Amino acid sequence: MKNIFSFIILTSFLLLPASVLNAQNEELFFGAAGSPANPKVVATWNKYYTYAGVIDLCKKLAKAYPDLVTMESAGKSYQGRDIIVLTITDKKVQSPDTKPGFWIDGNIHSIELQGTEMALYTAWYLCEMYTQNAFIKQLLKDKTFYISPTINPDAREYFTSVGVPPRSGLVPRDNDRDGLIDEDGYDDLNNDKNISQMRRKNPNGEYKSDPKDPRRMIRVEPGEKGEYELLGYEGIDNDGDGLINEDGPGGYDGNRDWGFNWEPNYVQNGADKYPFSFPENQAIRDFTLKHRNITGAQSFHNSGGLILRGPSIKGGGAEAYSRSDDEVINTIGKKGEEMIPGYKLVTIWKDMYTVYGGELDWWHGEMGCFVWSNELWNSYLMFYDTTNTDPYEFDKLLLFEDAFIPWQKVTHPVYGEIEVGGFSKNFGRLHPGFLLESDAHRNAAFCIYNAYQSPKLEISDIKVKKLPGGLKEVSATIENKRMIPTHSASNMKFKIDPPDYVYLDGGNVIAGMIVLNKDMNINQEQKKNPQRISILNIAGYQRVDLKWIVKDGNKFTIRAESVKGGRTSAQLE
Amino acid sequence: MKFLLLPLILFIGCFRLTAQNQYNNFSTMSQKIDALGKEYPSSCTVKSIVKTAGGKDIWVISIGNDDKDNKPGIAVFGGVEGNHILGKELALGFAGSLLKESKSPEIKGLLDKITFYVFPDVSPDATEQFFSDLKYERMVNARSTDNDRDFVTDEDPYEDLNKDGLITLIRVKDPSGQYTESKEDKRVMVKADLSDGQAGGYLVYSEGVDNDKDGSFNEDGEGGVDFNRNFTYNYEAYGLNAGLYPVSEAETKAVADFLFDKFNIYAVFTFGPQDNLGQPWKFSDRSYSDRRITSIMKTDEPVNKMVSDKYHEITGAKGAPVAKTSPGNFMEWAYYHYGRYSFGTPAWWFPLEKGKNEEVAFLKFAEKNKMNDVFVPWTEIKHPDFPDKKTEVGGIKPFAMINPPADTLGDLITKNYKFITAIALMHPELEFLDLKTENAGENVFRITLKVHNRGLFATCAEIGEDNDWTRIMRISLVPGNGQSFLSGKKVQMINRLEGDQSAEFSWLISGKGSLKLTAGALNTGTINSTIELK
Repeated sequence: MKNIFSFIILTSFLLLPASVLNAQNEELFFGAAGSPANPKVVATWNKYYTYAGVIDLCKKLAKAYPDLVTMESAGKSYQGRDIIVLTITDKKVQSPDTKPGFWIDGNIHSIELQGTEMALYTAWYLCEMYTQNAFIKQLLKDKTFYISPTINPDAREYFTSVGVPPRSGLVPRDNDRDGLIDEDGYDDLNNDKNISQMRRKNPNGEYKSDPKDPRRMIRVEPGEKGEYELLGYEGIDNDGDGLINEDGPGGYDGNRDWGFNWEPNYVQNGADKYPFSFPENQAIRDFTLKHRNITGAQSFHNSGGLILRGPSIKGGGAEAYSRSDDEVINTIGKKGEEMIPGYKLVTIWKDMYTVYGGELDWWHGEMGCFVWSNELWNSYLMFYDTTNTDPYEFDKLLLFEDAFIPWQKVTHPVYGEIEVGGFSKNFGRLHPGFLLESDAHRNAAFCIYNAYQSPKLEISDIKVKKLPGGLKEVSATIENKRMIPTHSASNMKFKIDPPDYVYLDGGNVIAGMIVLNKDMNINQEQKKNPQRISILNIAGYQRVDLKWIVKDGNKFTIRAESVKGGRTSAQLE
Repeated sequence: MKFLLLPLILFIGCFRLTAQNQYNNFSTMSQKIDALGKEYPSSCTVKSIVKTAGGKDIWVISIGNDDKDNKPGIAVFGGVEGNHILGKELALGFAGSLLKESKSPEIKGLLDKITFYVFPDVSPDATEQFFSDLKYERMVNARSTDNDRDFVTDEDPYEDLNKDGLITLIRVKDPSGQYTESKEDKRVMVKADLSDGQAGGYLVYSEGVDNDKDGSFNEDGEGGVDFNRNFTYNYEAYGLNAGLYPVSEAETKAVADFLFDKFNIYAVFTFGPQDNLGQPWKFSDRSYSDRRITSIMKTDEPVNKMVSDKYHEITGAKGAPVAKTSPGNFMEWAYYHYGRYSFGTPAWWFPLEKGKNEEVAFLKFAEKNKMNDVFVPWTEIKHPDFPDKKTEVGGIKPFAMINPPADTLGDLITKNYKFITAIALMHPELEFLDLKTENAGENVFRITLKVHNRGLFATCAEIGEDNDWTRIMRISLVPGNGQSFLSGKKVQMINRLEGDQSAEFSWLISGKGSLKLTAGALNTGTINSTIELK
């Protein structure tokens, strides 16, 4: 083992840039439980990665772990950036696309940056723990992870460099319907690469400085004199139409653009012309349609500390739910609440708001998957206290006012003398550095738990019984050892994936059947193609008994093929 | 080059001389479209916006004078549903008639103000089946799909068992069958009515064999996705021929993109199964618990009524066809999701009594109108799936109930052409009224005016008012040197104007000189004026 390890290090050292391999001097570290003490790919989780940083880290993982990681581009963004997908699995055990898959993406809303870090952390953690942790090792033998750290790279780049984009990507859009496109966006008046608030001194204003913390603007009491009026986000009236910041870059919602339960913009704000109007979502659509083995998905958002489950509209529209699916979703979601303190399992339409054409609907309705969307970060995490959630206090005591841009005087072409300031764009919805790794780990663990609970099929109890007339009866049981069924209710209703097939190889199959009641000999015979028995669904922890009547043959192999349940086989001589 | 021109000239000549007495297949339609582009280069451009899965062009003929995309536009569609071949001829015929008249003062005047975008056939993969050796009412394009979701594609098509080139029906004598001959017309097979003391005696299927032995006949033939099921309005997920998701097909996406790019289009006419000309849509007070809109808006209703009345008046059409809606159809999409005035008609139908059998009514109508060639008499054949049972092929010929005999085409084209051009004259059009300047003294001037919509159509259908894909009209007043606003804005929005409605504006300006005034949007046209302050 040690030899192999040093061989890997040696060859890697020759092949890789030195930055990948800071990970030697073992005498400098003593491992903390559950984390890679001496990773091959050094990564820190108290900061955010730019698009270049994301690509760099993905490349390093792919190079350091060629037997685990495949890095590919699912397509290009509007501005031509690659939408990266990492496929992570033990490539030596079965083909990656025949194992149950779990999808993770982040950053579909560009200001919701940290979904990317959650996704990247998961990828990094799986790779780095593979050799040292038996559970992870077995998991990557059984399952495949498809991880796309950012599915909105243009606007991520925009956010981390020049300013604050809308939630959307950067496909130009005429938000004020005047025939001019993106002509009046935010303006960084004080050139600090942040878009913060504007305030103006005004004795009749409705705000004043908080005496406890003068950085904070508070509303005055009725009858009390104010000091300031608030004028919204930094910006000017670029197009001279009397409105400020009304048509900036992009200005739609990539998460209202998916081809299930879709509705137009007057019903669903943010929707575009039709589903998949944007190249980023087209790329993900095409990738997922080619990976029917994906059983579950997580699409990271912020914020609020929520584990979101469907349906997104009342009744679910065309989606189908069953009581057993509901139990699985709620059981896993509740496990998530336990794993990520402060997060709550909620149903989108009921506990939040109605969403038409969201990504989750696509995964559930069109791909037949079990899906979650975690709204990352909530104010509870500041003091681990639901009653003390004061961001100014937190910034002062724990961040030493690093998150606040002090009010600064500037001259505005319309408003005159004003001040610009407020929390910086990396605070409020985003984790502060020191809390990022901990939440990344918990959310990664939730994804890992989800993937673990995807179906695992096993064949057992193979028996051969001699029948009169030289015939034999071959029987076997197929069992799903995990919680998630091979077919969700939607999958069965719309026949999204084929049924699970169990083949009997060896001998001449005369008849084949699913055994409904062994004792009473009640069976469901399959007349067409009995050598391949079709099973519509194998629910979580369910066993299905099968029986074939066979002529000839001594050696029998039973093979199971399930699009979402993986493949397995067993032999009897 | 001269050599090449000769046959072309001959061809054009022959198009002009021939009266319309036959349906055009894709190839002759394409030639005619091409010829129109060449004969009328100044007012007509022809473009293929995409090729279908079957490799056929989706043609658009843009007809108008000068700057076509910068004035109010009307789109005209045919071939939205694959078995409605008539729609294709009416759209193509509309383009031909309009161009033929394009030098007449009346039509020239219209083409100065309005641009027409004509799509003769948006389902060419499907409509071509009408012209093929094997005729059946095909709805779908050439994309290979798994219609019956058995994870095999295109495995159970029709078969022409009696070799007549037509797919009709088969009936099998079988005591377990639930069909019987209709009392009103023995040729027609109907479900036996137990309450009437009837028992069945026939199995009835479409003409063919059960190729994949799954118990269903012809459930998964060649293709595809139906253009008229693939749009977003009321889309049915996993519906028959609906596609994997809305606007999944090259031709639906290209048509949608074309229309969304043309902000100047304010109305869409569709020849197809959906109707609101024979019978206008009715407004119904919707519940606001759901943000979706599913009935015509209150102020769009009278416009629809007026247009429907004109349709009856101009074409002489009587009554109304059977109202047909379908999930994901184009014509309702054009209203509810594209946000434009949308009008549709099948343009030809036979009278039907409520509760009566449609096929019986059709056969009666055919007899009365001397349409002799509409029925294949039941004839016995051998069928591999029913070796011991008496099996016959027969039934109403495909396409016959939807498409009239070819000798009626010329008349229908003329009537529908007259109808659309008459409606086009009612287009929204802006003018400035009561433009006044008052000198308030001390170099201060007050400007007041009205923007009036002199058309009968509103500047934008009410359904489009809150839709991001329609433009909002603006009025802008640009001051000259030394002039400034004492009151009022340089740019402001004009709310939607109904037909014959006005909006008033006023400004206070300091300083003499001239100002430029502009008002409108692409869908209404833009009007300009200059104001002198002295």
